Amino acid sequence: MRANLVRAAPTTLFSSASSIRVPRACIVSKWLQSHGYATLETAKPQTVPLRKRLKDEAKRKKAEARTNSPKTAKSKETQPEQWELTVGIEIHAELNTACKLFSSAPAAAADSNALPNTNVAPFDAALPGTQPQFQIATLLPALRAAIALGCEVQRKSGWDRKHYFHWDQPNGYQITQYYQPFAEDGSLRLTAEDGVPKDDLNGAEEIAIGIKQIQMEQDTAKTTHHPPSTYHVDLNRAGHPLIEIITLPQIHSPQTAAALARKIQGILKSVDACVTGMELGGLRADVNVSVHKRGTSGSSHYGGVSGLGQRTEIKNLSSFAAIENAIVAEQNRQISVLEAGGVIEGETRGFTLGATETTRLRGKEGEVDYRYMPDADLPPLIIGSDLVAHLKDTLPELPDETVARLQKEYGLSSKDARTLASLDDGDRLEYMEETVKLLSSRLGPDEQKKAKLGKAVGNWVLHELGGMFTTSEMWQRCPITEVELADLIANVLQKQITSRTAKQLLVSLYDLPADGKRPTIEQLIEDGNLRLRPLSDEQYVELAEQIMDENRDLVETAKGRWQKGKMMWFVGQMVRRSEDGTVEPEKAKEVVRKLLEEA
Amino acid sequence: MNAIINEINTPTPHSTGSLKGKTIAIKDNIVTTSTPTTAASKTIHNYTSPFDATVVELLRSHGASISSKTNLDEFGMGSHSQQSFFGPTVSPFKRHGVALSAGGSSGGSAVAVAQGQVWAALGTDTGGSVRLPAAWTGVVGFKPSYGLLSRWGVIQYANSLDTVGILSRRVADARTVFEALNVFDSQDPTSLPRSVRQRIAARKERNSAKGLRIGVPTSYIISELSPAVRAAYSSTLTSLQNSGHTLIPIDSPTTQQALLAYYILAPAEASSNLAKYDGIRYGFRPPGPDARPKLNMPLYATTRGQGFGDEVQRRILLGAYTLSSEAMGNYFLQAQKIRRLVQQDFDRVFAMSHPLHDNATSSTGDESGKGVDIILTPTAPILPPTIEEVEQQSAVERYMNDVFTVPPSLAGLPAASVPVALPVSVQAELGADDVKTAGMQVIGQFGDDELVLEAAEIVEGLR
Repeated sequence: MRANLVRAAPTTLFSSASSIRVPRACIVSKWLQSHGYATLETAKPQTVPLRKRLKDEAKRKKAEARTNSPKTAKSKETQPEQWELTVGIEIHAELNTACKLFSSAPAAAADSNALPNTNVAPFDAALPGTQPQFQIATLLPALRAAIALGCEVQRKSGWDRKHYFHWDQPNGYQITQYYQPFAEDGSLRLTAEDGVPKDDLNGAEEIAIGIKQIQMEQDTAKTTHHPPSTYHVDLNRAGHPLIEIITLPQIHSPQTAAALARKIQGILKSVDACVTGMELGGLRADVNVSVHKRGTSGSSHYGGVSGLGQRTEIKNLSSFAAIENAIVAEQNRQISVLEAGGVIEGETRGFTLGATETTRLRGKEGEVDYRYMPDADLPPLIIGSDLVAHLKDTLPELPDETVARLQKEYGLSSKDARTLASLDDGDRLEYMEETVKLLSSRLGPDEQKKAKLGKAVGNWVLHELGGMFTTSEMWQRCPITEVELADLIANVLQKQITSRTAKQLLVSLYDLPADGKRPTIEQLIEDGNLRLRPLSDEQYVELAEQIMDENRDLVETAKGRWQKGKMMWFVGQMVRRSEDGTVEPEKAKEVVRKLLEEA
Repeated sequence: MNAIINEINTPTPHSTGSLKGKTIAIKDNIVTTSTPTTAASKTIHNYTSPFDATVVELLRSHGASISSKTNLDEFGMGSHSQQSFFGPTVSPFKRHGVALSAGGSSGGSAVAVAQGQVWAALGTDTGGSVRLPAAWTGVVGFKPSYGLLSRWGVIQYANSLDTVGILSRRVADARTVFEALNVFDSQDPTSLPRSVRQRIAARKERNSAKGLRIGVPTSYIISELSPAVRAAYSSTLTSLQNSGHTLIPIDSPTTQQALLAYYILAPAEASSNLAKYDGIRYGFRPPGPDARPKLNMPLYATTRGQGFGDEVQRRILLGAYTLSSEAMGNYFLQAQKIRRLVQQDFDRVFAMSHPLHDNATSSTGDESGKGVDIILTPTAPILPPTIEEVEQQSAVERYMNDVFTVPPSLAGLPAASVPVALPVSVQAELGADDVKTAGMQVIGQFGDDELVLEAAEIVEGLR
């Protein structure tokens, strides 16, 4: 059933894939343990999305009914503007590596077609007598990420065990960097273009969000449910390297939080630190949320920021929308509790996309004690400053730098530049730049105004060609080569064909198999007799006069009064009546204007 | 005696090398592909490893014939080899007709060697598990410096302390096995790298056998030291002095705290290392779902509750507690500090500096400022108790046997237990079936394993 659905509507692939994915182990197990039920049966809700959704829906309705009772009067008086929201985010990203963090088994992402439990070294299955062997190469993408996020790479960091029982955690602990993370004190700048709301910018060009630390750690195994009560554990992902990025609580709007996550994803992709984005489960986020009344100082502090209200944590958000909506929901909940004279409990909460409220998973009393302990098998991680310097020097262009360059070199608008830079993992940008290069060499020095060409190509790549591809996969199969597109645009710019013709050519090319035998753009233009053969000046006048004669009444209303609309009607008629590609609207307009003035 | 859990019948195909034709037993917490490796636990009583431990491969490649897997205290946790899923191992010696404790946890290996069933045996030594059974069964037990012998394939108990140790009848045999195993192994992240091994090798062209400066820790003359062991210790020291060695009283103020620190750190690491035994991927698992939410029994409570024996459960619980966020500061961190003090205590008295430490604690040595070459202590404060006495002991009383073996373990130092004859007067008081020897422990500076073996040979040769 699900397979059919996916085939019929490719766009649902992402959402269903991410809902199949089981939540991170720590959350699941903490939650299960805190509720005391950890049987296979009770774990069902996570892997039966529909049932869970229905259940959550029912719960939400119940909660709504509750708030609609006596409290409603108060909640209606909620004054959100009096409250300041404070948010910090933790983002988990799967690193792009060839092997696992502590074994030479291939990493899950490097071999996504592997049969379950085939990419498993003895240590990954926690066989007796096995030990971790740190794989130095996994450090490279982690370091690139840390550098791109402006962090200080620590010369010495360490490995710690975080203990909890769950079947997706074979050793009974996760190896992470709790006491000494490898990177600290980073910062990210966000602007309105990134999605920061005006209020949050408060007149400034940009805001900076501090990154407290980045740590490396192991991913968990994957659980799949085989109804009614069988669960399969696939260890291929167990031990895959992750980084956890922890920001300071310096975010003050839900949109900014989502913008930050989006920006981090963009940066991680641009430096090749991670393979898949949030939509494919390569990124997951936890957010901590607190509110306090403006002008007052709360009594809580964390991450070095004081004066905050009591915070709650919302775990395992797997989309940007979920981050934003969860924060909105939790902000509203906290404000209404506080305004009703209540107290916020430090607790862990969950959020389902589409819900209007977060739900309590466990309170402080249900807190799992992770019993962090340094891993005595692993020596400290010592990172030389020469390696960091080398990676800094060879770091790929970051998204903000790309956008600035596109605007400067190709004269693209900020919006187009951002879109181009973010599409298709940079493939689209590469395609565009290659096309501009080809076009410049074709058109010779006179017309080599890079900005103009860049703008034209940008427009074709983004809008004309872009309109034909609605998903990333379609783009990957784009049958139109850079050479063909450059030829096409060259013909338009040299007024050999009209834009309309060019667009039609694009569509017909799209349907022709790209087997090397298909005709070139020039051939297509010749074969279709599409080349623009402009009418002579006399022919223009003749055609215009003919149409005017047929429509004397319109001429009367149009003449002398500069009704542009009427004038353009005549131009349109001229284009329509003549053979395709023979009338240039600009020229036709001049002729019509002149005749109307004389009439 | 119940020393053997599994016999290995596969003959060694080729036999050349330093261990040619020698039969060697392996403690059953070191994995082998040819037979199950059980750690004497119900949890993995039917588990067979898909790979051989590095030390097992090395023994074979030097021509040894691996003859059997020996009994132990479950996962190496115990001092009497009584806590085994396969039943207790007992010593061949008896007192008034009652079997004596073989010591633990490598009791099976010690008994197999003592009885001549094998030429030598591998054990593991975390806080004395090779040295104590060696002392109580009258054989040689050698625990090398931490990091010299590979732990790949050694089932972890407390991985910052675990070492592979060797049991044999003669010190020379222990050396032969040690030399075969003493190589770097990239599969063990705590294996000392070649560069450090070379540094260690380069610096010990010092005084050997003749004229050792022997440290005698005054604080080891504790009230628990039995008259018999004390007599053996005194006569050994006297003999050494008579042979031209110098006895130097040394101060080691942390001896008593060391035992406390050990029984915090080892269980803490055990609670972590044994978390993997959940019955999911291998090992014992009771039928039915393993959780009883209504009875407040979370995941794996049944599997682990039934799979582990009492002593293992005790140490896991102890460790889980000392690692908990409430208790960590008072126990685990304090114990780590004591561990550091113990290391500094040793560094202060040895003439040779620690090859892994910067000159943070430079050796001040004794009054003459020269420092000692080795330290000599009894291996255990008492002669082996009978198994009946063991049964009546509390857990804490049992832990007391490790008081002399734990300090070098905490510091990662090489130490060997050598049997010395009990004075005739003591032997006369004991019955004919009783032990005739007591174990003396030679401790050396980190990396000074060769000197420890030489000194052990000197002690062995005293008469």
